[in-house]
Amino acid sequence: MSRYTVLVVDDEPGMRDTLAAILELQGYRVSSAIDGETAFLAVQAESFDVVVMDVRMPGRDGVSVLQEMGNPPPQVILMTAYALEEQLRAAVKAKAFAILHKPFDARRMLSLVSDASQAER
Amino acid sequence: MAEAPVLGPAGRTRARWWPLRLVSTVILLVMGGVVVASALITLSVIRDQERLLLRERTGEAAAVLGGAFAGVQSSLLLLGAIAATDRGHPQLFASAAHPEVTAPGQGLLVTAQRGTQMTVTAAAGTAPAVGSAIPPDQVRLAHRALVTRGMVSGLVRQGSRRWIAFGLGNAAGPATVVWEESALASTVTTKPSASSPWGNLDIALYLSARPDPSTLILATTRNLPLAGAQYPFRVGADTWLLVTSSPGPLVGSLAENMPWVILVIGVIAVALTVTVVETMGRRRDYADRLVEERTASLQNAMTELEAAQARLVQQEKLAAVGQLASSVGHELRNPLAVIMNVLYLLEAGTGADADEATRRHLATAKRETSTATLIVSDLLDYARGREPILGPVQVCDLVTEALSVVPPPAGVQVVDHCDPGITIHADRDQIRQAVLNLITNGYESMPDGGVLTVSASSESGSAHITVTDTGMGMDTGTRENIFTPFYTSKARGIGLGLAVTQRVVEAHDGTIAVESTPSVGSSFTITVPVMATMVSVAP
Repeated sequence: MSRYTVLVVDDEPGMRDTLAAILELQGYRVSSAIDGETAFLAVQAESFDVVVMDVRMPGRDGVSVLQEMGNPPPQVILMTAYALEEQLRAAVKAKAFAILHKPFDARRMLSLVSDASQAER
Repeated sequence: MAEAPVLGPAGRTRARWWPLRLVSTVILLVMGGVVVASALITLSVIRDQERLLLRERTGEAAAVLGGAFAGVQSSLLLLGAIAATDRGHPQLFASAAHPEVTAPGQGLLVTAQRGTQMTVTAAAGTAPAVGSAIPPDQVRLAHRALVTRGMVSGLVRQGSRRWIAFGLGNAAGPATVVWEESALASTVTTKPSASSPWGNLDIALYLSARPDPSTLILATTRNLPLAGAQYPFRVGADTWLLVTSSPGPLVGSLAENMPWVILVIGVIAVALTVTVVETMGRRRDYADRLVEERTASLQNAMTELEAAQARLVQQEKLAAVGQLASSVGHELRNPLAVIMNVLYLLEAGTGADADEATRRHLATAKRETSTATLIVSDLLDYARGREPILGPVQVCDLVTEALSVVPPPAGVQVVDHCDPGITIHADRDQIRQAVLNLITNGYESMPDGGVLTVSASSESGSAHITVTDTGMGMDTGTRENIFTPFYTSKARGIGLGLAVTQRVVEAHDGTIAVESTPSVGSSFTITVPVMATMVSVAP
């Protein structure tokens, strides 16, 4: 069983729950956050190995949370249903471990999370 | 440097072999005919008039001459009577005849026949002496006088001398002839004078009824025979002939030149009329052409305006549809992602325990979700329509990759005819998408299997990528609409694949061509410049 911790951040309950279920099935310890602000607070309070986070959320969005994460930041995998603007994409690429375009194959997501959890921070 | 053609309302001038229009030609011919006919008629009238005048003048001159010589006959008759009564006293004849001799070289005499000879019995003026014989010419004339009633006349020659002799037979008793004779100048030509009976006319006077040169006694010109009026007249018992011609016009120079005046004025009038008619005609044609051209350009402008309006409406419609597609597409991505997660969980949860039916249903759900994902991708690809980001692209690699992305359905054989080494300057993702769409399109048109051929070649700065299928083909109506967004002839799909392909190709300054035969197959050819320049295309 994996001892890695993963924070799943998405305002869509369906997405949040299914992602958590898939990751738990693989043995990760999964927490969930329903928006950016909650996620930011959770990351401050607790240390996660990997954060799987939606970009577009009400209130604070995924990109802003990513930019302000404290040290040492967890590996972040951003999920988006939208095309990112060129400038944003560059900024995000520098900090995020990967970008996943919705809809995606769960196996690809798992493989990215696995890679991220084992990556050097 | 090429000279710009001068275009204007006369731009459509046609080459005509005849420079005038029909109406001008008719006017030219009719008026010209009238002018020429008038000139000819006037010429004829004036010639008739000239002939008539000449004939009148000749008749007058002949009458004067005839009258003068009628006086000769009566004086010969009188002198004959004197000579008859005073036989043997020639002095009486001489004194009676003396006043009649009015000119040098003129003589009056009486001759009588003595055997075969004619001798002078009385004389006055320059006549031969009494008792002498007369020359043979005069003897012949005397014989004629003796057998003729009335005066005879004729030319008498002796040596170089010539004279004219009038003889009246049996005037001084039987076998006598009374004569008046006048010497003639050695030359017959005299200058005409205003005082002569013929005035300024050229004349020739013959002592015979015909213009016989040997009987010519007088002429005012050396240009004989004259070609004018001939007027025979009686002198005693003989007929003389007066021939005249006029060196100048008798009708007057104005009348003589009238035909030419008519002709010249007429030609000028015809030329002016034709010029005016032609100018007016050309102006009208010019105005007509101007109106025609303005109308045509107005119609063109209207047509263009309508087309532009239609394009604008279409663009706005597509933009609205694109916006809708974009938001719907994005909104669909989240539920699709959730569904895919759920399917994964179901699969993982059931694992190997799932029965056959459940596995089949799960597979169907996954396949349809993938299809939905592709549709959303198409929709978003179309709605996005970004500018190409150019870079070198190996065409064969791209084709191979595209073929590997979508494996051929069962029964479809793929043939790859790619000329290696073709590199284009293009947006790799976009061109790959375009080719992929054509390949998918080809697969879908061959539900019962067939051959899909992808070939790539290059020539003169252009690269061609052709995707040919042996599928169902298209009718004309379908072929005309395949690039229209949201048009589809298939049961599945939303009709954006080829629209996206066309837009990508056009954004690369390229073209896409399609050939298709129903039941035989279709062939799409993308042509892009080897070094593509970016062309901005509205999203």
